[in-house]
Amino acid sequence: MTTNTFDTLRAGQLIEGQPFAPTRESIRAFCEASLDFNPLHWDDDYMKGNFGRTQFGGIIMHGMNNFGVITKMLTDWLYPVGGVQRRLETRWKIPVKPGDTITPTATISAVRTTDKSRWATLDVQVRNQRGEVVAVGEAMVEFPAAA
Amino acid sequence: MNESEFETDFWKDAELRKSWDQIIPGEPRKTIPYTLTLDAIHKYCRVVDDMHPLYFDEAFARKSSYGGLIAPPSIHILLMFSCTPADDWMRSPGTVNAGQSWSYNIPARPGDTIRLEARALDKFIRKDRLFVVHDNVFFNQHDQVICSGRGWTIRPM
Repeated sequence: MTTNTFDTLRAGQLIEGQPFAPTRESIRAFCEASLDFNPLHWDDDYMKGNFGRTQFGGIIMHGMNNFGVITKMLTDWLYPVGGVQRRLETRWKIPVKPGDTITPTATISAVRTTDKSRWATLDVQVRNQRGEVVAVGEAMVEFPAAA
Repeated sequence: MNESEFETDFWKDAELRKSWDQIIPGEPRKTIPYTLTLDAIHKYCRVVDDMHPLYFDEAFARKSSYGGLIAPPSIHILLMFSCTPADDWMRSPGTVNAGQSWSYNIPARPGDTIRLEARALDKFIRKDRLFVVHDNVFFNQHDQVICSGRGWTIRPM
């Protein structure tokens, strides 16, 4: 029931996503599925280089793979209760590498009603297996009023 | 364009792509229409381990409020590259994605013919890095907005 779900939302409520463990193979598969073949994600020799102020030390997962993992967390929560993902903003803090395990979470920061609909905003984080924050962001979701 | 025609060697013709110096904020990027297939949706969903029945189960999706199969909101990850040509500067090797923000209107669906309106929005130097902001809107064949978003990229030196 959409109406009931929105009414139960509270600031501080935690949404937990599923862990995701990228491998060299999954990163290559992401290249093929996203058509993003930037050598950052597959070329070991290229990644031995120095990128201005940054030294990656090996291939890295696509930042947008984080985006996909966060989206799955949000839609898995929203679809069963009639909610809609309306916005997601993310910033990558540190790279994710093969062998890492990342887990997204979101915390409701506010709920509000407008003239035409009902909304919640969330603070999003993705942490790796060491507890380091690899991505942060904000999401906005809509709970359309029951017809 | 279909996937078999996609140039996966981002080094090829890299010199044809605009550098940070050549990118003009406000100038449109060349784009190409793309027909989104169910196979492409499924390929993307599998790599992010997102197997929701709205993307895979026709009967389930038909009974849902969406009335049929849809793509996940984040399908713009694929659309960004499928709707731009090989000389687009987003393909420059070493381009680092620093972050993106997207707003979602309606879902993309299998069979949609999708077009992109895109441009560089801004460029700046921060902490000795060269940034370009890209601005994008994806439309379906009915000229309905699917999603819109922008991204902050660090350009290769």
